[in-house]
Amino acid sequence: MLYKLECYIQPSKLDCVKEGLIDTGVEGITVSKVEGFGKQRGYKNGETPNREVKFLPKIKLEIVVEEDMVDITTKTIARLAKTGKIGAGKIFIIPVEDAIRIRTLEAGKSAIL
Amino acid sequence: MLHIMDNRNGIKKEPKATQSVWQGTLSRLDHAMDLLDLTPGERKYLSNPRKVIEVAVTVKMDSGDIDIFSGYRIQHNTNRGPAKGGIRFHPDVDIDEIKALAMLMTWKCAVVGIPYGGAKGGVAVDPTKLSARELENLTRRYTFEIIDNIGPEKDIQAPDVGTNAQIMAWIMDTYSMDKGYAVPGVVTGKPISLGGSLGREEATSQGCVYTLLSALKVHGIDSTNLSIAVQGFGNVGCNAAKILYDTGFKVVGLSDVGGAIYNFDGIDPYKVEAHAKKEGSVARYPDALEMAGEDIFSLKCDILFPAALENHITEANAANIKALFIVEGANAPTTPDADKILNDKGIFIIPDILANAGGVTVSYFEWVQGRDAYFWSKRKVNLSLRDIMDKAFYEVYALSKERKVDMRTAANMLGVGRVAEAVRLRGIYP
Repeated sequence: MLYKLECYIQPSKLDCVKEGLIDTGVEGITVSKVEGFGKQRGYKNGETPNREVKFLPKIKLEIVVEEDMVDITTKTIARLAKTGKIGAGKIFIIPVEDAIRIRTLEAGKSAIL
Repeated sequence: MLHIMDNRNGIKKEPKATQSVWQGTLSRLDHAMDLLDLTPGERKYLSNPRKVIEVAVTVKMDSGDIDIFSGYRIQHNTNRGPAKGGIRFHPDVDIDEIKALAMLMTWKCAVVGIPYGGAKGGVAVDPTKLSARELENLTRRYTFEIIDNIGPEKDIQAPDVGTNAQIMAWIMDTYSMDKGYAVPGVVTGKPISLGGSLGREEATSQGCVYTLLSALKVHGIDSTNLSIAVQGFGNVGCNAAKILYDTGFKVVGLSDVGGAIYNFDGIDPYKVEAHAKKEGSVARYPDALEMAGEDIFSLKCDILFPAALENHITEANAANIKALFIVEGANAPTTPDADKILNDKGIFIIPDILANAGGVTVSYFEWVQGRDAYFWSKRKVNLSLRDIMDKAFYEVYALSKERKVDMRTAANMLGVGRVAEAVRLRGIYP
């Protein structure tokens, strides 16, 4: 079974997370610049929240891995994306029914390896 | 080796509490039934085990002598489904203990919402003093003596203190040979190659950790940078120590029957496991200090994790407990008198029938996988376990807040209430 990790991290953490993932053997990563808010609704420590929600810049990573890689990959991302404060981000784990390599039409695990 | 015709004669039973474990279990039940406002008939029905079987397990020992060991299988209640419960091989096994453990299984299965009733079995024997052949013969004889009363739809066996996957395999074999075809569903906790479930080995411990994380969350603690002392280093204690260590907790104390160790800088339970395998105990582990076994309870730590036998937390040592949380990996580790002291101290207790329900939950998954004859990945087992444990924790917690009772009372009420509902709906036969 394949799984997709959708990760939202601080932009400053992208480089070390990328290096860490390559070291664990991840074969591909898609990165996009996004904006978002979580429980803190975009307010930093010390600011007083009001009704308005603030969107803050984040980096979104999308990675598809096989089941046995899910644990090591999430642990690596969590370890490297930690900031010590709130707002470090989230990882969502989503089952992927199948994957196809366009060039060869390989499917499943072979499509990502 | 000392040969005794009646195994009970040679065993010195130390009373660890003023009340027996059966009396303690009944008093828990009574308190829950008061709050649930059950009828006298319902109260009687729930207080009495449906079937109590006592057998003489006869074994020809390696020496040629014949020994007889007392064996029990007690089915407490089967209103919600087939009876389910482990088999304990321990010299202190007696009818009292097995009745109590069988009843706790009924409430436990109801608390996590799995379709089983409660049962327990046991043989009064020290399995460490038997040869492999004697152990196998004892297991097979015990199985045979209770064989008409067990089965995948009647009463499903499982491991407990002193038994393991190999013993479950012998039980499965004995039952299957008797029937004439393979019946893997008669027992859970089997080896993987015989239809066991991935994740079963560490399931009880994993379930305890899930409930601990939920308990910390509702107290506003989202960090695992807390210290924990684990009493007992068997299946539950050893696996729990390792999982807690992996999750970021600091293991500061460990104990087993051979002694106890502590180190406020933290202990690596993997290294202790290797040490214990060689030396036979956690005691004398080089990177920690020694202390008396019972001092594990008064050790300075955030979380205490009893994972040994019943009635170890008593009115004698409860007042000295410094932990803020107790996770009951063991069944009935706390006497009712101790419970009162701990509640007065404001310690948050995750009770046995909730905390250690992970084992029977993954047993249930094993039974389900067996019925489908299709086996799940370890990920699926753990995520399904987490779902069930989280749901059960939050249901018990919500009830405790709604009725303003402690977690043990809430868990008892939830479990007993669900069984009472089944009793009401099914009525009394004929």
